[in-house]
Amino acid sequence: MTRFLTRAGVLLTTFAVLVACSGNNGGNEEANATKSPTATNNGNETADENKEPVKFSISMRTLNVAYVEKHPDINEDKYVKKLEEMTNADLDIRLIPHNEYQDKMVQMFATNDIPDVVQGSGGLSGAELAGAVANGVFLPLNDLLEEHGQDLLKFIPEEAWARMTDSITGNIYGIPEILSNPSRRATWIRTDLLEKVGKDIPTTVEETMEVLRAFKEIGVEQPFAGRQNFKYSDTFFGAYDVFGYLNQFKLFPDGQVKPSFFDTENMKKAIQVYKTMYDEGLISKEFATVESTDFRSNITSGKVGMWSMNANELPIWGAQLKSNVPEAEIALIPSPVGTDGKGGYAHYNPVTRSFYINAEAKDKAADIVKFFNWMVSEEAELFFSFGIEGEDYQVVNGEPKFEVPTDTEGTDKLRYLNYWLWMVQDTTYNKMVSSLSDSGLQMIDAFDNMLSKEGRRGIEFDPRLDALIQNPDLTPKSDEMPPLVLEKVLRIVYGKDSVDSFDDVLEEYLSKGGNDVIKEATERYNSKENAFE
Amino acid sequence: MVKQSKLGYMWKYKMLYFLSIPGLLYFLVFKYVPLFGSVIAFQDFNLFSGVFGSPWVGFKHFERMFSHYDFINILKNTLLLGMYDILFAFTAPIILALLLNEVRLMLYKKIIQTVMYAPHFLSWVIVSGIFVGILSPESGVLNVMIGWFGIDPIYFLGDESYIRTILVGSGLWRDVGWGTIIYLAALAGINPDLYEAAEIDGAGRWKQTLNITLPALLPVVTILFLLKIGDFMDYGFERVFVFQNPLNIQNSEILDTYIYKAGLRQLQFSYATAIGVFKSVVGLTLLMIANTLSKKATGESLY
Repeated sequence: MTRFLTRAGVLLTTFAVLVACSGNNGGNEEANATKSPTATNNGNETADENKEPVKFSISMRTLNVAYVEKHPDINEDKYVKKLEEMTNADLDIRLIPHNEYQDKMVQMFATNDIPDVVQGSGGLSGAELAGAVANGVFLPLNDLLEEHGQDLLKFIPEEAWARMTDSITGNIYGIPEILSNPSRRATWIRTDLLEKVGKDIPTTVEETMEVLRAFKEIGVEQPFAGRQNFKYSDTFFGAYDVFGYLNQFKLFPDGQVKPSFFDTENMKKAIQVYKTMYDEGLISKEFATVESTDFRSNITSGKVGMWSMNANELPIWGAQLKSNVPEAEIALIPSPVGTDGKGGYAHYNPVTRSFYINAEAKDKAADIVKFFNWMVSEEAELFFSFGIEGEDYQVVNGEPKFEVPTDTEGTDKLRYLNYWLWMVQDTTYNKMVSSLSDSGLQMIDAFDNMLSKEGRRGIEFDPRLDALIQNPDLTPKSDEMPPLVLEKVLRIVYGKDSVDSFDDVLEEYLSKGGNDVIKEATERYNSKENAFE
Repeated sequence: MVKQSKLGYMWKYKMLYFLSIPGLLYFLVFKYVPLFGSVIAFQDFNLFSGVFGSPWVGFKHFERMFSHYDFINILKNTLLLGMYDILFAFTAPIILALLLNEVRLMLYKKIIQTVMYAPHFLSWVIVSGIFVGILSPESGVLNVMIGWFGIDPIYFLGDESYIRTILVGSGLWRDVGWGTIIYLAALAGINPDLYEAAEIDGAGRWKQTLNITLPALLPVVTILFLLKIGDFMDYGFERVFVFQNPLNIQNSEILDTYIYKAGLRQLQFSYATAIGVFKSVVGLTLLMIANTLSKKATGESLY
């Protein structure tokens, strides 16, 4: 009898849980169903106050923004609600996990479960769009922008629109979020350590190595921070201009367009620098397996003397380092220069995020464009920079008074507002917030007066070269060399192969499909077919 | 007349037939229907045209796979890992189950079992994190220990000659305890009378294990072995991917990881499917051979 009772009990609880779960879902769906018919009939153009809010769904990548990823339901968030109120819209945000972005997006297209607005990450032919533009999934926006998006047309530079335009038909398919200063990464140094060893800010590769050696002598664990696949530690490949990334094709003297690491003389110099650092212990012996989280914790716990990171992280990383190591001082410095007197990191794509409108959402498209048009207004800037008046900031004498948060919760929220929820803007830095703090001003100064003058960029092809798609081993990423070359470079740095054997891998590159890559690149460059410089 | 009695027979056991419906549906919907998706291996599949709109290209993708310059190496890695997996990861739980069976203290046995099941519930990302930590040349426990013998730290993950050991070892650590469950269940089903009789005949623990326990386990072992053979080429994507880096890729690239990189990342769905079909065909062939052999040799078989 007791056994029967316990069994019945277990069954009951299971049922209760199941019912509770499904009840929730059912409830939501019902609510959606009752709302939607009223929301769709907004064909009338007059923007009267009582107009029903335009309801549309939008997919957005979470971008590792903690505030979004931890939120139980982003659609119920007070800032989303406020945004909806300000724009007379009713958003249904569908989050796409940051790390599974491409897979989930492809799944979305494959199952034809496409929201009204789709967020992409770069150009029209990004892998995450799975060829959706070419297959007519999205609406051409030229006329709509002309009519409802004048502010967008004014705000967004020609260069960014070019990335959103199909060069054959001239159709614009996306609304881009832009990066006006593509030189986003910077070289960081611990100035307190620099003072301790009595050295000046280094400018050349040789001077930099001297500084790193001096750091080692006073017991800095990792004078230079290395990371897996040279991500965020490619400083010296930049000094010699041999990245070979997706946007780093170069026109060589022989008239061929090749990845920049084909400049073997400079490439060998760059590899030698890393090898020397490895041999002398100036870089972690296991940098080939250091991931982003370890990289960050090494730096913010004060183990590192010099590193590379996005410049706009300065206020946050700086604060974190200071809380661990109170005497630490950091500065962004000009990147070490190589033989041509230049240096810096690979330039970013001028488009950071892009928004496409589903062809099936034609009826709402005008209102959706208006929604994005609002994003570049002054009202939007104030809201996305500071938040809600009376809650996040006060207005005193007609001027907004805002205090920059320093705790994790506050910085997470600010990052969410500044960079995630604000969909169309110049993402280089947030001017209103950064102007309020010393480290922010330091960052603005670095962006405007230093980073804008450095960095490397070459020729880029979008859509990508066909020959690269066929050969994943030869395909570089936006900030990683092709696997084939990367493997060789690491083998050389780790002393398994000699520096001179780098020539072999170029031979291998050519024989494994590289000849096709170069042929196609040269042809497309000469015929100016979707090649960007 | 015969037909009617058959229907009557079915009617008599209608409860059992009803009970089997969810299971049958599961296999139909999730196992058999997706099989038809394999046809895209013979097409140039376009996401937006679908299976019915994409052009047929015959064996193009298979040819591309076999002519890939690294195909032999990738296949070799896949086969070697599959072999090591059977050699170590398959036999270890059997031995462990036999050892556990001999433990006298019940409480001790239970604790050991629970501790050994635990890693099975960790995801591969966590497992790799743990192993990267242990194997680190600068702070890893293992390198500290070999340092006591005056050996220089070894960068285990940065050397292709260790990667297979690490892959099989991490799999062993994660799943060996879990693998014992089915054997322990089989061991519990052995009639104690047999052991008593053997003891009276003067057989020691070792003889008992050899002549009673092992033969009683053999049917289970055979079935599991045959199932394992069917998965010979499916070493698993994630467990390898989390350990890969350019320094060990020469020995760690297997078909599963290659499918991911060449097929899914580059949106070459047909190519990825072709490799998948190749894998399944090899698995099926091996399974059929092993099944026939086992039927002849031991009388045990899957079908």
